[in-house]
Formats: sequence, C-alpha cells, structure tokens
Amino acid sequence: MVSATKDLKQGDHPAKDGFEPLLNETFAGKHLTDPIPEIKDKWKLLPAFLKVKGLVKQHIDSFNYFVNIDLKKIVKANQRVTSDVDPHFFLKYCDIYVGIPERTDADAANQPYTPHECRLRDLTYSANIYVDIEYVRGRTIVRRKKVAIGRLPIMLRSQQCILTGKSEAELAKLTECPLDPGGYFVVKGVEKVILVQEQLSKNRIIVEMDKKNNVMASVQSSTHERKSKTAIIVKHDRIYLKHNSISEDVPIVVAMKAMGVQSDKEIAQLICGNDHDLLDLFSINIEEASKLKIYTQKQALDFIGSKVKVNRKISGPRRPWADEALEVLATVVLAHIPVENLNFREKSIYAAMMVRRVLQAVNHQVEVDDRDYVGNKRLELAGQLLSLLFEDLFKKFNSDLKLNIDKVLKKVNRTQEFDVHNQIILHGDHITSGFIRAISTGNWVLKRFKMDRAGITHVLSRLSYISALGMMTRIASQFEKTRKVSGPRALQPSQWGMLCTSDTPEGEACGLVKNLALMTHITTDNEESPIRNLVFVLGVEDVNMLTGAELYQPNVFVVFLNGSILGITRRAEKFVHDFRRMRRAGRVSEFVSIFINDHQRTINLSSDGGRICRPLIIVENRKPRVTQQHINDLIAEKLTFEDFLKKGLVEYLDVNEESDSNIATYEPDIIPESTHLEIEPFTILGAVAGLIPYPHHNQSPRNTYQCAMGKQAIGAIAYNQLNRIDTLLYLMVYPQQPMVKTKTIELIGYDKLPAGQNATVAVMSYSGYDIEDALVLNKSGLDRGFGRCQVMRKYATMVKQYPNGTHDRLVDPPQPDSELWNSTYAALDADGIASPAEPLESGSIYINKQVPSNTNAELGVGSGVQNITYKGAPMRYKSPQTGYVDKVLLTTTESDQTLIKVLVRQTRRPELGDKFSSRHGQKGVCGIIVQQEDMPFTDLGVTPDIIMNPHGFPSRMTVGKMIELLAGKAGVLAGKLQYGTAFGGSKVADMSQILIENGFSYSGKDYVTSGITGEPLSAYIFFGPIYYQKLKHMVMDKMHARARGPRATLTRQPTEGRSRDGGLRLGEMERDCLIGYGASMLLLERLMISSDAFEIHVCEECGLIGYAGWCQFCKSSKKMKSMQIPYAAKLLFQELMSMNICTRLMLDDAL
Amino acid sequence: MENAYGTLSGPNITIRELQKDKISFILSDTDLSVANSLRRVMIAEVPTIAIDMVEIETNTTVLADEFIAHRLGMIPIESTDVERIKYTRDCTCSQYCSECSVELTLHVKCTDDRTRDVTSRELISSNPQFQPVLTDKNDSGILIVKLRKGHELSIKCIAKKGVAKEHAKWSPVSGVAFEYDPYNKLRHTHYWIEEDEKKEWPLSKNAALEAPPDPNAPFDYNAKPDRFYFSSETVGSLQPEEVVSMAMKTLLDKLAYVQMQLKEEVDMKKQDHTSWGY
Repeated sequence: MVSATKDLKQGDHPAKDGFEPLLNETFAGKHLTDPIPEIKDKWKLLPAFLKVKGLVKQHIDSFNYFVNIDLKKIVKANQRVTSDVDPHFFLKYCDIYVGIPERTDADAANQPYTPHECRLRDLTYSANIYVDIEYVRGRTIVRRKKVAIGRLPIMLRSQQCILTGKSEAELAKLTECPLDPGGYFVVKGVEKVILVQEQLSKNRIIVEMDKKNNVMASVQSSTHERKSKTAIIVKHDRIYLKHNSISEDVPIVVAMKAMGVQSDKEIAQLICGNDHDLLDLFSINIEEASKLKIYTQKQALDFIGSKVKVNRKISGPRRPWADEALEVLATVVLAHIPVENLNFREKSIYAAMMVRRVLQAVNHQVEVDDRDYVGNKRLELAGQLLSLLFEDLFKKFNSDLKLNIDKVLKKVNRTQEFDVHNQIILHGDHITSGFIRAISTGNWVLKRFKMDRAGITHVLSRLSYISALGMMTRIASQFEKTRKVSGPRALQPSQWGMLCTSDTPEGEACGLVKNLALMTHITTDNEESPIRNLVFVLGVEDVNMLTGAELYQPNVFVVFLNGSILGITRRAEKFVHDFRRMRRAGRVSEFVSIFINDHQRTINLSSDGGRICRPLIIVENRKPRVTQQHINDLIAEKLTFEDFLKKGLVEYLDVNEESDSNIATYEPDIIPESTHLEIEPFTILGAVAGLIPYPHHNQSPRNTYQCAMGKQAIGAIAYNQLNRIDTLLYLMVYPQQPMVKTKTIELIGYDKLPAGQNATVAVMSYSGYDIEDALVLNKSGLDRGFGRCQVMRKYATMVKQYPNGTHDRLVDPPQPDSELWNSTYAALDADGIASPAEPLESGSIYINKQVPSNTNAELGVGSGVQNITYKGAPMRYKSPQTGYVDKVLLTTTESDQTLIKVLVRQTRRPELGDKFSSRHGQKGVCGIIVQQEDMPFTDLGVTPDIIMNPHGFPSRMTVGKMIELLAGKAGVLAGKLQYGTAFGGSKVADMSQILIENGFSYSGKDYVTSGITGEPLSAYIFFGPIYYQKLKHMVMDKMHARARGPRATLTRQPTEGRSRDGGLRLGEMERDCLIGYGASMLLLERLMISSDAFEIHVCEECGLIGYAGWCQFCKSSKKMKSMQIPYAAKLLFQELMSMNICTRLMLDDAL
Repeated sequence: MENAYGTLSGPNITIRELQKDKISFILSDTDLSVANSLRRVMIAEVPTIAIDMVEIETNTTVLADEFIAHRLGMIPIESTDVERIKYTRDCTCSQYCSECSVELTLHVKCTDDRTRDVTSRELISSNPQFQPVLTDKNDSGILIVKLRKGHELSIKCIAKKGVAKEHAKWSPVSGVAFEYDPYNKLRHTHYWIEEDEKKEWPLSKNAALEAPPDPNAPFDYNAKPDRFYFSSETVGSLQPEEVVSMAMKTLLDKLAYVQMQLKEEVDMKKQDHTSWGY
C-alpha cells in the first residue's frame, strides 16, 4: 500500500519522470500541450443537410415512398379480381404507377398544368393513377397497359410534381416561389397540409401501471390486415391475457397451454428462466390452471373457445370451440407475430416475454416504461395516411368492380363480348373523389380499421412565410385536448434535438402540438429481411431453437427487430459494434437503429417508419471523425452531406439509439466514453424558434410566445405573392431583414422573405400613453412608411348554369346620366365587373350579377330568352376603408362554370391600437402617435420610431431583447449584420467595443434631449434598433359600435357579432351590477326597450295572449289589457303552448 | 455686458461648418426655449414643395398605385423659391392651379428585355424652378420603381406647398442635432455609471468648443444654458442656411401673428369698454 501511494505521488510530479524534454518540444510552432484547435464552421454541415433534405423533406419523402413502394405493395396484396359467376374469369393488376399532373379534359392543347394555375382556377393538382392489367376476354387473356383508374392529388415538390428539380428561373416562369418548401397539396384551389400525426409505436411492448395501479404489459399489433391490442394484466396477483375478441380474461397459463406449451415446467421456464423470485411470483398462476382442470392444449383451447366473440357475419356451420380459439390465437391475438402452419413457438415465446416483463415490474427489478418517451412514439406522415386511404378505396373499387362484373356475366346472352376494360373506364371516379374528399375535409374514415379521424388536414396558413413553414413542421398528437393530464404535455428530455423545445401553442393544445427541430429526419419503412439475415450472420442464435433456460441466462441479450424476437446473443457489445460498423459502411440503410437496453437485457433493432432521427458526428478514440479538411472540402463543394454519410463520418441516430449514446455538445467536452459529437447545438430549436435572437438569454415562455406571434407577423409571403389570389393576404410595404440575424434565419430564407422592420427604439417612459405595454410611435416614421401594409382580400363568385337552361348574367351599369345611376356603380366597367385600379367605397358594386328568378321549373315550350326574368344580386364592397381593385380573374373551373375572382387591396398605415411585437414575446399596441419634433432625440439628432416603456423588462426578463438592441446598434455603426444565434452569436463584449470605438457608451445608452423642452432627460436612455413585427390584429378589422341595426328574425333581438353589425351585449354580470345599484329603469330600457320590446294584448280573465284587443279563449274583448314584454318572452309562451303547456299571465295592477 | 440673463447684445450665430447639405452652427446668448423653438420649426414648419397628389393614367408595374404615390411623395423637390407658391388653402382656385402647385409628369415604358429603373430624373416639371433634387450631374436620381419588358408607368403628379407638421415629406431636414452644456456643468442630466464617469461616458464633439470645468468649482445653481450647438442635415429641397433662415422667419411670422392677434384683442376690449360707456 505504502509503495503504491509513493508511486502515485511521483507520477503527480512530472518534473521527475524524465519526459520533460518531450513536453517542452514544439512542433510546427505549436506546443505539445496546446489545445487541439476545434473544427471551425462545423455548422456548414447543416446547410448541406438542408440542401439534401430541405425543411419539409419528411412530407415529400413519405409521399414518394407511398407512390413508389406502398402503392405497388397494396396492389400486389389485392392483385386479383375474380367472379363468382364465371370461374374462368380473372382480372390481374400487374403494375401500378402515377403519371405527372395533367388536365382532366383530354382534348386540352397542353396537358400538364402548374400548381399555381390550380390555385387560381380552384382545381385539384392531381395526376392519373395508371395500372397495367391482364384479364380474360372471351377465351383469350388480354393485356393492357396504362389504364387510368383514378386521380391522385400530387404533393408539391414530390417526385411527380413538375416543380421538382427546377431552377429558380424555371420556377419563376411557372409563377412559383423558389423558397416555398412544398409538401402540401392543392385541392380545389386550396392549399392543404396533412399534418404529421404522433402516436404510440406499434408492435412494441409497453409496460405500465393501469388505473388500479396494477402492472400491465400491452402491445398494439398492426399489420396490413389487422390492428389489435393485446394486454397481459395482473388481477388479484394472478396474470391474465386480455384481448378485445375474447370476452373474458384468460389465465396466462391457459393461454400458454393453448399455444402449445403444455408442460408447466416449460411454461415456468419460458417466463421465469431460472429466477426463483419470479418463479415464486408466478407459481400461483400454474395452480390456477390446475384448479380449472386444464392440462392439455385441447382443454385450453376449449376453455378459450367458449369465450371468443364470434363474428356473426360469417354464417355457416358452427365450428368447434377449439378451432375458433385456435384461429383467434393465430391471427388476432398478437397479430404482428406470424403463425405459420400453426407453429405457435414464436408467439408463445413472445407472450412469455411479456409476462416476464410484467413480473419483473411487479418485483421492482425493472421500472415500468414511460409512454411519453419520444422513443416510444412514431410519427404518421402524409404517405402512410394516404396509403391507408388508398388501400380502402382500392378495395372498394375492386369489390364494386366485382359486383359489376358479376352483374354482366350473369346475363346469359350479351350483345357484345364482355370487356372489363370498359367497366374500369366507366367505373366512375370513386378513387379520385375519395382522395379529394378526405384531403379537403380532413376526415379519414376507414371502416376496415374502425378509423374515424377528423382534422387530419389543415389549410396551409399563408399569413407569413414563417407561418407556412411552421405549419409544415407541425406535429399533432392523438391525445384528446380536453383531458387534463400533464404527462403528454410536458417537455421530455428525449425531445432534445428532435422536437423544438420552444414552439408549442399556449392554451388547450399546449404541449400536444409540437414542431420538428431544424435538423431532423423522419424514417420511412425499411425492408426487414436483409436486416434479419445480417443479424444471423453476425452470430445471433435463432429464438426458435432455444428453451427458456437459455433465453434468460445472465449474459444473454435477446435481439428484437421491430418488436419481434429474432434470437439471442451472448456478446452484446460486440454484436452492436459490428452491426454499427456495417451500417456506417452502408451495408444496411443508415436509418436502421440499434441500441442495447441494459435493464431489459435486450438489443433492439428498428427499421420501421415514423421514427425521428438526426445526424451526429461520430467520435472515435476521443476524436471526431469529421476533420477540418472535410469541412473545408464541404465548403469548397467537393463533398456533399451524402458523402459524409457514406464515409461514415456522420450517422443518423433515432431517439432510442441517441439515449444509448454519449453525445458531446462541444468538442472540448469529449470524454473517453463519448461516441458522438453534436453538429450544432442551436438545432435543438425548430425553424420558427430559430428566428429569435439570443433566445438562450430569455425566459423560456417568452420564446414560446414569440413562436406563436412570429406566425402572425405581416411581411413578405413568397416571391409569387403578387400573383396569388388568396382569401386574405397581408403584405408589408417595406419589409426589412433583421439587423440581428441568426444562422437559422439564413438557412430558412427569412432574410429573403422577412416580416418586420428594424425600428429605432428608445426604452423610456413618455406621455403616459405607454402604460400596459403600449407603444409610442413617431408620426414621421409612419409618414415615411414604417409599419405600412397592404391587405388583399378575395371576393369570388360563380356565374352559374341551372338545370332548366337558365344561367346567371353580368349586367353593365346604367348610363351615368340616367336616373337609375348612382355612385355605387362608379367602379363598374361595361362588362359588369369593376376594372382594376378602381376605388371601391363602402357600398360600391364590384360584380353586377343577376340571377334568374326561377331556377327550378322547366321553361315552357316556346318561351324565349326574353321571358326569363332576373333579379339583381350585386356584390357590394363592405369595408369602411376605401379599397382598390387589384386584379380581376375570369376563368372556368373543372366543371366548366365561369368563376370570377376580384382581388381588392387596401393600404394601411399604423394607427392607434394596431399591434406590434418584437421577437421576444413582447407585444404591445400603439398607444399614441407623436410628432417628430416632440420626440426625444439623441445628440446626433436621431429620433426613435418607437418608444417602449421600460416596465416591460423586469417581469418579462427578456434579456435577449436588450442584447439584440446592443448588437443591432453595433451592427448599424459597423455597417454589418450581427448574429444572435442561439447558444452563440455576437458577444456582448465585442458589441460594446464597437460602440466605444464609435463614440457611444458601451452600455447602449444615449444622451437624450426632450423634444418638447429642449432640456436633456435626466436619465440616459437605452437606445437602438430592435426588429419589430407588425401583427395582423389591426383596429380597423375589429372596431365596432352600433346604435340601430339589424335584428334576428326569430327573437327580434339585435344580431350578434361585428360581421352582422351586431349589438353589444349587456351580459349577466353587467346586469347584476345594475341590479345591485338599483338602476331598474336603465335595466328595463337596456334589456327590453332597446332590444325586443313587443306589445301584446292579454286577457285579464284567462291570462292568455289575445290579438287586437280580442281574447280568442274567452271570446270577449272586455278585459283585454295591452302590455309590453320582450318578444323573446312572447316566443317562449307560444313555444310552451305548442308543447301543451299553458302559460297564463296574472295581471296585478293593470291600468 | 453680461448679467444673469446673458448678454444684452442679443442672440448670436456662429457657423462652424457649411456644406451642400449640412450645417453646423452655434446659437449663443439666447434662451433654451428660443433655441428649441428654432429646432422644432426647422423640423416641422419650414415650408417646402412635395408631391401631394398623383393622377395615375397607366400603371402596369409590379407596385400598386398607392405604393408608387407614396414613394413619389418622399422625393425632395428643389424648394428655394417656395415663397412664390401659395398654400392651396390660401389660393383662389378650386382644386389646384399654377399659383399653388407644380405639375410633374412621368411617362416610362420598358421595351427592352432587361430591367429598367425609373428614377426621379424622369419626372418632368412644369416649372423649372421646382425640379426633383439631384446632387450632381452623375446623380442617377431616386429609384421609384423597376420595370420589366411591357411595363408602363404614366402619371401626373401635383406638387404642393406644405409643412412637415402635416406630413414628413415636407420636412426640409432629416434630423437636427442639438446640444448644450457638453460637460454637464448645469447638471441637467445624471450620468449612469458603473465605476468611473470619465471612462464610461465619451464626451461629445462639442466639448472641444468649451472649457472643461474646474472640478473644484462650486456648483452654480443660477447658471442658465446660453450656447447651443446645432447641426443639421437637409434632404436637399432647401440649402441648409436657407432652412435656418426660413425657420427663423417662420418663427418671426408666428410671433408677428400673435402680436397682431393681441393687438386685435386689445382693440376689441377697448371698443367693448367704450361701448358700454364706462
């Protein structure tokens, strides 16, 4: 002992070990102990990644996978259509493929069309689905190629889309924005996004506590044919198998016996191995089986069979119970484990494994699983949802076809030879309309899987570029929003790098709607069989050869592939290492993940779709594999991101494998155990949160608020914004890119399509009109264009044709000198439509349409055009602000109806009450607009555009905003843009240095003089540029008051809501106040006289309501009294009467 | 001749720098209120000429009509002879006439296959005294809109006289810097410091024009500011010295107007008294 410590002490003094000269040596001017330089510009991997993947690659990848692979798989599974009538007949689908988007009318001159044309003309951007078929016609087999069976809406920028691979100039020709990410559909002229759906992963065992705090293990089986849930539950300390198709819980030993494991010893071994603790817990179950007197498989099957819920639809001879049970166990229970030739071996081991996991959890050997863990989640994308839909539609198509075929073949004598091809062509548009209906309504109704989900698709929000982008990365959760559980809403540590930590809405959907982080990829399904082969080649022993004793030996790890057991290995580390090497060498797909679960002693491989993964730099022997040379080559465009993958420098990790790795955030943090290095830490944020400068200095809710507000900011929307005719379009007149950028801003192109302006802000109190976050704006700034925006609104109408041959018409305005003319016709052109650039005042007509008064009845014979009468249906402009006709579009839709769209433009300058926000969740409304000469100014004569009240800072703690001001000011003075990238960005010390060099205070504060008195302010003012966004909430759209106005027909009370010029409600609480105050006459006036006062005549005798001084009940007018009651009350009395309830008014002191 | 209210000789102006579009001067021996009034009038009440109405005949450019009209309004117009133009409200005409307005026309069509810039150079004025401002011969003018092949812009602009109180386009200056007491001898402000005032607060340029205070001198609480350092940059519509002199004239006019009002009031009151027969 003593000598050992001595040695150590000597080691502590390097001066005496004889290696000093080596340590002093320098090489190439560098000391040996000098720190190794970090890799510079490592973040360049990110643009390289986005170049290949793009921001919405997950949608596009998924759609492409559907078109290229899933479609063919579905057709292959439903390949043959036969006839019950003619056994010789068959129809076989040989192949299926999708064409490019084309017009539906066959005789069009140029077949392909652009997405933009579809948007403008309210068309669906879709392409034909073609099949190659083989069928019997008469006595010959006929082959036909390229038979169209329906149309598939095409995702923009997917393989089929004509925009894919086009250069910026080519896109400009197609009036398409190069920055638009695609990934959505255009259905009936509306841009629709299929949101990413989050759900629990399928075919994986989840062990958790049920409501009664008992352990249960459940698995959601999902195959092409079937979806079912199987659970192993604990009830009264006994273990049961629970499944929906079995009416009662089955004791586990019975279930095992039914699956062919008859010996108690074998059951015990399969479940407990040689663990006596587990055996003690389990033995009671064996006793239970013997109590039930079930010893053999036959007995067990009979027992289960008596409890199976038989599907009554399939009529036929009743089968023995045992057969029924065997079928259910083989195909329905644990459906994802295949049973071939009634070989239940794999399934019984799987079930045993589930029981074992339950026992381990009961025994507290292993913790229960966390179902909120991101690794237990799978994301369902457009492709998967469409393939579900297509499978359903295709099956329906085939069964309809079969019915038709049978109908024709039943006829003994046919006029012509039967050809299925004609049937297919004439079969209608079942598939087309199915797709269009599902995407445009968002309702996915699949009877086969009992699936009825609403709200799958959403209209792509085009409020700003960011809102569209944010929508494409959005993930919707399947959880009900009303449930008040915090678990699924909480921020999960496993979200790191996969899901944005900031971007989630506030309120009911908080934490349930998430967003993808910047550098993520969502996998698509990968073929299992090559992986299976590789696993066995790497030395895994097949599970079917093993007994329970071997399965659970202490050094054995069970290998799973996508949740099903493959086998075991005794050398887990080596196996995993070997497998990873194969993956890095590209022998298996880079998206196959592998990780060791030490608690459960399993190795899990996943190749299924919907896992989120992200690239990381591989670290080996404390060194990142990516070197400076690689990065330099990347910058010089000698290497692409794909090369990094191929060379095994970078690899994708999914959430599970990420948790099994040791990832260093920065290069100096690498320790001997490190396996990976982060590419850039700011990629834990998503595209929307990436806009915030210095988010790591803000209080976290502020970043979340900004994520919500960034989507409401008015700015540039797309390069084709002026060609678009959207329902509502907000455009900023002079948008600017922010002075303080982030790397994310450059990567997503926010600097090219910004939404905001760099305002000079003075943080000070001014005038008292700035309390509660109100802002003071400089009038001269507004004069010069600050915050000015254009609002474009679409007004559309159809010129309809009616079945009786009549049609709507557009009518020219009356002659200006005629009596009929008035100023509302001023904007109209001779064609009855307002011409572009004409001003529209409130009430102006912009489409002078007339509708035939009779659209139903057939016109009599001989009645000419002259006899048709029309009634006017002019479309009038309503807004109080003058609008200008920007564009008029006259076109036809798919159904050959004439469509007219008029785009009306308003230009608005900010006014009192308009909403603004900085990028730090600090919103405020304009409280006062001040003349420039009254504004405070600095010693350089600079006046602020905005004065912000300093009380906004202490409680909000948005330090990032202050640093943004500092960096922005330094940027202005140095003449360059500064960076506020998360976890990095320009340093405050550097910014202060620039300020000092330019003769400013390092703190960003300025000497400011009052514009009113000319005296300097006694305090120094924090003064500089901050990027401000103008939000879409503008006073003009909200302002509302009414004196008199329309009333609802039923109750005669004032209408509700601004759009109907409604009244302002004096509600219950306001009523209570007035009652408390005793203002009864005021109440009477507000609630009745100003609302729905109505005079009725009441009979004093019978108390019933009469009419015109006559009581119909008493047949007398003697005792009639008139009184005022609310019309709603009169309505109530009459409605009660209609229900046979007599209401009598007992009059007290009637006059 | 100094006393507590400054010199009796009245206000002085010393011009320190005069460029084409910049002026920097010291106003001394006057009160803070006078100096600040001058600053405010320079910004907001010196009349200039700016495009106020735009009649658009053809606009097939990418920009909307209001957009172009707004841009045109911001173009500075040579306003040295602004006195010759009346305010429209003072004019006898119904809408506008040559007495109270200047007409500028612009007609550009792009026929080439490349982008054509339309600038303020292409505005043709009906009155040669009122032209869009150009700094020199090589000045390409202010960009109004860019055209592609087939785009056309044909407009008639009516420029009118106005003041920046109404709209910032009539402001002759882009800003007025104004300072007094660079050493803060009067203690009108409080320096916010962490450690050392001298280190943390850079002195303004104007400090070179005053003697640094004696750190041991007692605080003179009777002192009044009397030297005001102005500097201003014009937008080009007026020469910088014109801005200052016109600002003073405007101030004078305003005072004269007040004086007149006062006189009228006094006369009225006198008449009232006499008529009541006291």
